[in-house]
Amino acid sequence: MSADVKLDDVWVSFGDFVAVREASLTIQGGEFFSFLGPSGCGKTTLLRTISGFQDPTRGRVSIEGHDMAGIGPNKRPTALIFQNLALFPLMTVAENIAFSLEVRGVGKAERRKRADELLELIALSGQGDKKISELSGGQKQRVAIARALAVEPKVLLLDEPLSALDLKLRQHMRSELRAIQQRVGITFIYITHDQGEALTMSDRVAVMSDGVIQQIGDSKDIYDHPETAFVASFVGENNALPGKVTEVADGYARIETGLGTFRGRTSGNAALSPGEKAFIFIRPEAMQLGGGDNRFRATVLTEEFEGNMRHIMFRTVTDKPLRMSLINDGRSATEISGIEEEVGFDANLAVVLPHGPLAAE
Amino acid sequence: MTSRGVMKFFFGIYAVMFFGYLFGPLIIMSISAFNSSSYPRVTPWECLTGEWFVKLANDARLVEGLQNSFLIGICVVLVAVPLGLAGAIMLTQIGNRVRSFYYTVVICPILVPGVVLGISTLIFWRRLGNMVGAEDGSLLFNDIFLTVLGQATFISAYCMLVFIARLQRFDPVQEEAALDLGATNVQAFTKVLLPFLKPAMGSAAVLAFLASFENYNTTVFTSQATSTLTMVLASKVRYGIDPSISALAVIIIGLTLAGAIIYEVLRRREARIAAQRLADGLPGGKPAPKPGFGALPQMAGIMILLVVVAGVATTVVASGYNAEACKAEIMQEKLRIQEKFAEEQRKLREERMKQQQNEAPAAPAQPKAASPFGNVFDPNNLGSQSGTAKPEPEAPAKPASPFGNVFDPNNLKQQSGEQ
Amino acid sequence: MLLVNYFRWFFTKNGLVLGSILMGAVAFWCIVMIILPQMFMLDYSFRLNLAPHEYGTAKDVLTLENYEYLLYGSSANTDSFNFQDLGVFWRTIVAALFVTAFDLAICYPIAFYMAKVAQGGLSRLLVLSLIVPYWVNEILRAFAFRIIFGASGIINETGMDLGLWDQPIDFIRADVALYAGLSYAYILLMIFPIYNAIESLDTNQLEAARDLGSPWWRIHWRVIIPYAKPGITSGCTMVFMLTAGALAAPQILGGPSSLWFTQRVYELFNKAIHWPRGSAYAFVLLVACIVIVLLLMRLFKVRLGEIAR
Repeated sequence: MSADVKLDDVWVSFGDFVAVREASLTIQGGEFFSFLGPSGCGKTTLLRTISGFQDPTRGRVSIEGHDMAGIGPNKRPTALIFQNLALFPLMTVAENIAFSLEVRGVGKAERRKRADELLELIALSGQGDKKISELSGGQKQRVAIARALAVEPKVLLLDEPLSALDLKLRQHMRSELRAIQQRVGITFIYITHDQGEALTMSDRVAVMSDGVIQQIGDSKDIYDHPETAFVASFVGENNALPGKVTEVADGYARIETGLGTFRGRTSGNAALSPGEKAFIFIRPEAMQLGGGDNRFRATVLTEEFEGNMRHIMFRTVTDKPLRMSLINDGRSATEISGIEEEVGFDANLAVVLPHGPLAAE
Repeated sequence: MTSRGVMKFFFGIYAVMFFGYLFGPLIIMSISAFNSSSYPRVTPWECLTGEWFVKLANDARLVEGLQNSFLIGICVVLVAVPLGLAGAIMLTQIGNRVRSFYYTVVICPILVPGVVLGISTLIFWRRLGNMVGAEDGSLLFNDIFLTVLGQATFISAYCMLVFIARLQRFDPVQEEAALDLGATNVQAFTKVLLPFLKPAMGSAAVLAFLASFENYNTTVFTSQATSTLTMVLASKVRYGIDPSISALAVIIIGLTLAGAIIYEVLRRREARIAAQRLADGLPGGKPAPKPGFGALPQMAGIMILLVVVAGVATTVVASGYNAEACKAEIMQEKLRIQEKFAEEQRKLREERMKQQQNEAPAAPAQPKAASPFGNVFDPNNLGSQSGTAKPEPEAPAKPASPFGNVFDPNNLKQQSGEQ
Repeated sequence: MLLVNYFRWFFTKNGLVLGSILMGAVAFWCIVMIILPQMFMLDYSFRLNLAPHEYGTAKDVLTLENYEYLLYGSSANTDSFNFQDLGVFWRTIVAALFVTAFDLAICYPIAFYMAKVAQGGLSRLLVLSLIVPYWVNEILRAFAFRIIFGASGIINETGMDLGLWDQPIDFIRADVALYAGLSYAYILLMIFPIYNAIESLDTNQLEAARDLGSPWWRIHWRVIIPYAKPGITSGCTMVFMLTAGALAAPQILGGPSSLWFTQRVYELFNKAIHWPRGSAYAFVLLVACIVIVLLLMRLFKVRLGEIAR
């Protein structure tokens, strides 16, 4: 029932601007797959290429092993949920849901029956005669999903569908989307710039930047084992210290930074050699006061108090302060700015990656 | 705060003058339709009458013009609305580089003087007809065909502007959504875009019809032999001025007012229903706003309509038994004045005759310009009387200004125009 | 190549059927209804006044005669220029500019009031009451002014009753009726663009200006008018074009001794039956209008795209 989507060296360019370069990947049938990246990274273009609104400049998109070249969006086994949903405001909820059946010439009674089934699936039974403008944001969301599912697509493409909702609803819809996906069992390809959404819902995530797929992996991989400086800085919070590699051995590298020379893991997929410029990334929660394999002295700038967490900022050589997050156990004293502390981190919790662009703040 | 007050005061005066300017002419014209005076006027008031409406209804040329106007108006709607729609859709799909050029071309007809459009359309199709050797009666020389095309040239641009305004609120992603859901291009167009544009199509059609109906500048050139209502009116007004035209104005103003009121009432009801539905649909939504603030226009409109209806009704009733008596009275009055003048004149003439007899046999007196009988030669009077054929010639001397018509520039214009 | 790409894109987007209909309709409108007729008129204005059977014969040559006539008159003319027609032309342009300025002066305050002072219901009422006169036929509006300004019209009657003057004043010969009627005819087209422009201005800006102690006239001069400039230019353009190209009002309200340029064109078509010369005159009118509008736009630094909205 479900189908795999395969991208083979796909490039998309608009004039001189290259929106997507060299995208090659295979999405398994029935998988919940997310593209994560900042706006303008090419993820929407990639989605439009899969759905057929955009022809690739080079390369091949195939679904279930069939080359999709020359097949229009209305002929592909995909359905797209648009960022603004694009529900038809002049039609009722049921008419919206059954639109795909209407254009295929399915009879009225049959359409209504199918619309009612889908309304039940999205827990909106009996609301088929309402106007779109009478629905709440979350309800519209679910109608858009039902409308897309009515086509019985093999692949459902979702373009940041939750971005218009408020925070609480967004978190609720995450689990709902995931539940719907598991119920219908088809491939979901999800586009977002929100890492929380991508990490919680997806089986696998592809992180994109500047049209290039940086890394593909499951959520834990992406967070714990970033392979590029961009992924390390974009996903989650990370302290990035620039420096020069002095030694590489046994999956560890030594790097000379403005605060001292530190040791950290290397990534298997990113080769490093001594003398190269690189970053060492340390998660704020990996930093500790007076402990760890790598130690140095630093001056406290400020402290942010967040209830369960305390974030202490230290002055560094770069203009970006070093951030340390501690669980507030209620016993430790407040840090006073200006005093010098000994801080440190364990080498296996820090990663050294080749120099490259970082994510913008 | 005093300067504020002064400003308010001056603005008030200005506003009264402005709306006086705006409505005064229409009101005066409307009232003059009910005055029995053969020159359309408000003062002096003679008799309340509905005869001008009767005369209007019996005017064969006007009725024929009305039929032509209707036919042309409907054809223009059928041509201009689709063209405007296509023009507006094209604008959304045309490349940036060509867009401003294209926009200039299609917006031009609005800015080009109507006479130029009429002339160019006439010449183009005539020349084309001559080139292909078309017969005299062929379509290319047909007045209605040329008029429809000439008017549609710029009315399509009006329609396009209406569609552009609506299209700006259309989310083109909806069309993509329809395609994605399996619709063909035509289906996406007919099932998603067209329903969205439906209200605009209504407005565009009304606008096109009204613009066509009242067009003069273009039509007067493209329609060489066939007269539309506006052309009949124009020739009537130019060659004689007559209260039956005021009567037509009353009808048109009444229809316009009624249309405006109906439109406003419908709009309000729609807004109220929409608000109500929204309030019903969303438990947290605000209750529908009460239409309290908005009763004013409705009331005003209904008042105006009532006044007009009452006026017409009174006239019709009054004309049944009262108007004739009143008119007879006025006629008597005029005759009396006329006789008085004739008497004086006779005395004057007799005296002069005596003098002339004393002096020498001179040419007979030619009292045209100075005479109160001058109005008998007034083409205005002739024009207005030819229709009704009254038993007695109307008194030449009008009560308020016995010599008035001699100075009436209409006479002069009339004469110079007919040279 | 670019064009081919565009057509391919266009027909994939719209499909063959719909794409052809769209293309065809727009092409018909632009080429057959707008561009070609103007070209033909221009060409015709360089022709002699011939009978149809003489077209294409040796007599059918291109000539500047019709334009020369506008400048110098007929060969019988003893003056160095065709003062009659040039005078009519000049008067039409100047009078149209005057009418435009007058309309702008009387419409701006109302437009501002409607846009920023009047509230909900009143504002709607004002809008409707402006539209209603506009839908009354142009001829009838002119007729109304003839009733008012006629020798025994209400103004003369009232004036004489009040003893302000004792002989009827010939408002029509003095062209008062004409200018009043022309100004009246296109009020709506002046108000609405200005109204739309001012309405879209953020009221906070006005409050900020007032808060900063700016007097009311300075708020208008420095904040509102610069903001509403496209609307004002749009209104002026429409009113000027329509006034200069008006035919009905001058025919009905014009004094016996003064003509409007469009009336000259009308005469050439319907009385003198000299179509080529009529075309030449019409073309001159068109060019003059375009030049003046472009000058206006240059003066106010507004582009066409901002105007016709």
